[in-house]
Amino acid sequence: MNEFAILAASFMGREGWGNDRTRLRPWPESVAGALQRGEVEALRWGTLFSSETSRFGRMDLLSRLGLMAVELLDAGIETMDAAQRNAVGVCVETRSGCTATDAQFLQTPLASAFAYTLPSTVLGEICIRHRFRGPVLCLAPVAGQGGSVEAALGWLNRGEAGACVCVACDVMDKRFAASVLSPQDVPGGGWQGCAVLIGCGTDASGGQPLQPDSLPRLARSLVASGIGAPNSVI
Amino acid sequence: MTAQGVAIAGSVGESSQRLDATPVVIAGSGTVTALGLGRERLEQGLLANASGLRNCPRLAGKGYQSTMGGFVPDEVWSALRGRDPAHADAPAYLLADAALREARAEVGSGGLNSAPASRRGLVLSTTKADITALEGDFHHWTSSITAQRHLFPALLAADLGAAHDIAGPVQCISTACVSGLLAIQQGALLIQEDKADLVFVVGVDLFSDFVLSGFTLLKSLDPEGCRPFDAERKGLSLGEGAGALVLARRETVASPALTVTGWGSSNDANHLTGPSRDGSGLALAMNRALQKAGTAPHDVDFVHAHGTGTSYNDAMEGMALRSVFGNRVPPYCSSKGIFGHTLGAAGLLETIVCLIATRNQLLPGTPGLRCRDPSVPDSLLDKPRAAGSLRRILKINAGFGGVNAALVLEWGGG
Amino acid sequence: MQPLTDELKSKIIKALNLDKVTPADIKQDEPLFGTGLGLDSLDALDLVSMLERDYGILIQDMESARQVFASYGTLEDYVQRNRR
Repeated sequence: MNEFAILAASFMGREGWGNDRTRLRPWPESVAGALQRGEVEALRWGTLFSSETSRFGRMDLLSRLGLMAVELLDAGIETMDAAQRNAVGVCVETRSGCTATDAQFLQTPLASAFAYTLPSTVLGEICIRHRFRGPVLCLAPVAGQGGSVEAALGWLNRGEAGACVCVACDVMDKRFAASVLSPQDVPGGGWQGCAVLIGCGTDASGGQPLQPDSLPRLARSLVASGIGAPNSVI
Repeated sequence: MTAQGVAIAGSVGESSQRLDATPVVIAGSGTVTALGLGRERLEQGLLANASGLRNCPRLAGKGYQSTMGGFVPDEVWSALRGRDPAHADAPAYLLADAALREARAEVGSGGLNSAPASRRGLVLSTTKADITALEGDFHHWTSSITAQRHLFPALLAADLGAAHDIAGPVQCISTACVSGLLAIQQGALLIQEDKADLVFVVGVDLFSDFVLSGFTLLKSLDPEGCRPFDAERKGLSLGEGAGALVLARRETVASPALTVTGWGSSNDANHLTGPSRDGSGLALAMNRALQKAGTAPHDVDFVHAHGTGTSYNDAMEGMALRSVFGNRVPPYCSSKGIFGHTLGAAGLLETIVCLIATRNQLLPGTPGLRCRDPSVPDSLLDKPRAAGSLRRILKINAGFGGVNAALVLEWGGG
Repeated sequence: MQPLTDELKSKIIKALNLDKVTPADIKQDEPLFGTGLGLDSLDALDLVSMLERDYGILIQDMESARQVFASYGTLEDYVQRNRR
């Protein structure tokens, strides 16, 4: 019988960024003010990573957050072979959806901008970069209902995936989001990007198993507190 | 690979209790398409191999690559708005609600429909929900609060749930053009995980200027209407509509029914808007679904393809079919020449086409097809024909972001 | 000839959000697609939009665009001859 555990977590939001190893760190001075004001365009790949990336400049903000959240995970993804990558499922959840990107497209209609007006594009960018070919799902969490973590556990339990990456990303559109969404669904500063990797693993925390919760809350708390003993991959 | 992390509830042990894989069947359905309101119109259209695509005068002269599409007829819009004036400017809600009403009516008033509200679930599938509120804002007119709410698919799902006495699980799937099949999968899981006894799965998308201008920029529309798998195909035709299914446990439904026996999905991991040239991503989803269903490729009687009519998609699908079925590709068709590419509604409407096909033991044709592209498998169905025995069906869709999904359905029992 | 080169290279970089590319990085005979600059089909469509917007050039189908976009040099030639 398989045991599954959250092996890694990452979080980016108004208050800071990090993963379960680095814990939550404040943003560099150069971008802190802008990010606290919700100006997500100030966040660039180079703000956090020195690795190469392809076409970051044309991605919408939602895709940038999703891709960076996965990049932040300290989970040994780079050591996975093709067979393992073929079995990694990806589930993206977004409360804001693409409304901000949609407005951008209406303003400046371009083929590439249109391609980003779907949350599946966030998922696509993640799968392209990491060559993940497992099951897929993008959902908009309904208040009080489950989200990506539940879906991922289902894949794992039924043997439909060997590991799963769950991503939550949000860029709230300024015109509508605040007036129609409930406050608990609107992240501080109007944006966030976070991820967890769930896979085969034993529990190192020694405590009660975590209850599947909203992914942003789960990720944020794991980044703040760390995950048990240091991760070791055998 | 053994790693250490944090255990999460629901991951260990609990799963073994519910691995009974109780069969889930389709107990009812409802539709609104370019052919009109109601399943009967769709059925008539299927039997006649009809096309509901037409030119829309209001779109002329705006520079769109095509004004052909699968539009819900004006008289249907008038009827829906007349019946529900509170949602007059919330078209996605109107279509989804209409499909749900028909599906509920088919289930009937006794038995199944008496499941308590807390045991009834809803899964919504949509790519753009009600985009008209955003279009309005851009053009400086204001929509009602209801329409603004429905910019957010989760709120549209919540509102539809509330209107249909659903107090059980509510989910909202938005995964491009595979949303419909994934929503059916999620609905089946709710029943198998004993979280609901009755699940309504509804897919909806509108024919909007937003999407039309996007596909114009991608230059992927056929000005004369889509011709799936045709040698001269030039692109897709958009459509709008809603399709709803009611899912329930097999033992609660009398007579032959269509069972959801397997599913699978995958990512091409290749390009955002162009499918993997070799169709390997779609083939992966298909093989996963067949494996889950325990169905061998040679036992599939019919494949309902995605078949958008674009040069790339149809070529890729042909390769995926060969990859899975070798040189014995079952008869296959595309319905996008009937009602257009309905995006988030496609998986639902096209599964309902499969349902109608099994009830009539009829293999559907491919409206819009004139002359098959010689490079796609020759078992392509141009016109409807009687099926020898239509039992096992494979339904497939693909979408932006390299996503692919497949569903295996089996007819019979009773 | 020089002003068009500087202008066109800058417009390409801006239209396609090519972060780390400068006009000096775009070589005359370098392929634009696949290798070279490594652009993809979405970029091709965005370039078509840019040509229409900034130079009044209409490209009707992507098949004919293929030859025009073979290299930066062929693109510049085409713009030079067809701009309005």
